[in-house]
Amino acid sequence: MKDKDNYSFPDSAGRFGEYGGKYVSETLMAALEQLENTYETLKDEENFKKEINEDLNNFVGRPSPLYFAKRWTEQLSGAQIYLKREDLNHTGAHKINNTVGQVLLAKHMGKKRIIAETGAGQHGVATAAVAARHGLECIIFMGEEDIERQSPNVYRMKLLGAEVFPVTSGTKTLKDAMNEAMRDWVTNVDDTHYIIGSVAGPHPYPKIVRDFNSIVGVELKEQSRNLFGRYPDKIIACVGGGSNAMGIFYPFLKDNSVDLIGVEAGGSGIESGEHAAPLSDGSIGVLHGMKTYLMQDKSGQILSTKSVSAGLDYPGVGPEHSYLKDSGRVEYDSATDEEALDSFHELTKTEGIMPALETAHALAHAKKIAPKMSKDEIIVVNLSGRGDKDMANVAKVEGLTL
Amino acid sequence: MSIIGSTFEQIKNNNSRALVTYTVAGDPDLKESEKIIENIISSGADIIEIGVPFSDPMSEGPVIQLSHERSLKNKTSLEEILKLSKRLKKKFNKTPIVLMGYFNTFINSLEIAKGNHDINDDICRELKNHGVDGLIIVDLPFEESEEIYNKLTEFDIDLIRLISPTTNDLRINEILSNSSGFIYYVSLKGITGAEIDSFNALKERVESIKKSSRIPVVVGFGIKDKKTAKKMSVFSDGVVVGSAIVDIISNKQDLHFQDIFSQISKFVEGIKSSIQ
Repeated sequence: MKDKDNYSFPDSAGRFGEYGGKYVSETLMAALEQLENTYETLKDEENFKKEINEDLNNFVGRPSPLYFAKRWTEQLSGAQIYLKREDLNHTGAHKINNTVGQVLLAKHMGKKRIIAETGAGQHGVATAAVAARHGLECIIFMGEEDIERQSPNVYRMKLLGAEVFPVTSGTKTLKDAMNEAMRDWVTNVDDTHYIIGSVAGPHPYPKIVRDFNSIVGVELKEQSRNLFGRYPDKIIACVGGGSNAMGIFYPFLKDNSVDLIGVEAGGSGIESGEHAAPLSDGSIGVLHGMKTYLMQDKSGQILSTKSVSAGLDYPGVGPEHSYLKDSGRVEYDSATDEEALDSFHELTKTEGIMPALETAHALAHAKKIAPKMSKDEIIVVNLSGRGDKDMANVAKVEGLTL
Repeated sequence: MSIIGSTFEQIKNNNSRALVTYTVAGDPDLKESEKIIENIISSGADIIEIGVPFSDPMSEGPVIQLSHERSLKNKTSLEEILKLSKRLKKKFNKTPIVLMGYFNTFINSLEIAKGNHDINDDICRELKNHGVDGLIIVDLPFEESEEIYNKLTEFDIDLIRLISPTTNDLRINEILSNSSGFIYYVSLKGITGAEIDSFNALKERVESIKKSSRIPVVVGFGIKDKKTAKKMSVFSDGVVVGSAIVDIISNKQDLHFQDIFSQISKFVEGIKSSIQ
């Protein structure tokens, strides 16, 4: 399709087709403009690229390996399954790819204070780590409910010198943490940079976060050529806001032979209505500065979501995913809490790799489709994060005490 | 000239300033919020802003956030708010009514609007038929709403825009040429109900905007008492009070409804007299 070959979103207004844009209060418009100008000026500068690459290599530990899940492949007896090991990054997830870049933008803009929202705590930890590395003040907004279910990460952020601000408004989860971070930003906009952790929010965030994460897909292209002499048949990633998925999908958007599959949080099942899957069962609206698919009631109020994984427990999704859903380039599906927990255990026992509960949704989808595929086909799952943070939560869900 | 325009004209002729008030529809419940607004109008308010509750009111401070939460617990809908507006208009046909809220509620809650994701003719007609004279949509900068502005203008509904301390001159000019009714100058960097730190800077800013604006400029955010209102009224065309009134309503549990009534009356009368 011609459209896909010329893919150049977002446009100058920050739109991916109908989606995206900048729906924020007037006070933030200047800050968004400054961020956009800084990014557009720096992104192609050799010094800036060098600085980021050094951090990606020596602070994050890139490139991340492409690992063959041999025993799991044999067990499922279908397509070969490879895992892009973002869990091996410093701080244990893909989130750090974005924060090492954004903290440099913050420094170039002369901002002394960093704020961020977090759900599972992975983005909070990745932000606290880069703030510590650059000697910047750091405040992380986190829903009270998430603080409870992700307590190890809360302590990690504190050890890294960040202040963790418990958010008690609304549903006390990721969306409310984002509201509170926006309120802080609007108040302290002169000296503060807000590091949004997903491909969500107002332009230019969806673009910046995608670009910084696309190192994952860029590496995968090279690794695939070296390892298989071709690209994978299918790439699978979990989608909450959608940053790990955009990171691995983006470099492949024009390679039409590669099927791209995003997996949302199905919670208790799409038909139950208790889930966090706006692309599977949502409608178009505006939240957190962007036009996108949302979970909302018939009065345009945002619904509370349900997922066993705090990182996917979000009623919106990055606007580029909304576009890619409509255009058909990416297929979106969902996995339930139960399926995710099952895959969490299965990968841990079969491969000796404990995935994050978020990632387990992508694995659950691989488990569904791999047996139907032939043995010479290749699936790559973006293993977006490690699961140590989820141990207490998994134990609790399963009625155990540690 | 719109009813908002003529209201300002009249106030100016009386050598006075406009008092704009904000309360959230449906807090403590729809009926009582209606009585509160009637009470506010009788106590001297010139323009009524009716807050449309949203689940994620990103620009609001804690006082108004909680008011939105209480209102949503009562399942207050835009449809009911429009009916409320119509009833108010019948009783007080000279008082302009402005709805203030977040974009998603305006595009996704009316049955006639479903599937458009925009403010279209049907919505404008519905607003107009229910006595709505203006809209303030907090999360809708001019970049996202040139067409909406034109559409609303067609239906004689004002689109009131915010200018903030961080808005640069280029944007101010764009905003001034894409606004109607009045300009809402946000007195501080922050959320509703916060503290104003520099009066002098604020004064200079408002005076400079007034020079290039063809419509009145009112100041809002952080006006909590008569003293502040008086200071603001010296250099602006009016003031907005919101959090201070909503704060009285939020004490409902500890007070009888009559006490809330008389406290609000006293407060509104006090502010109005201080800006005369």
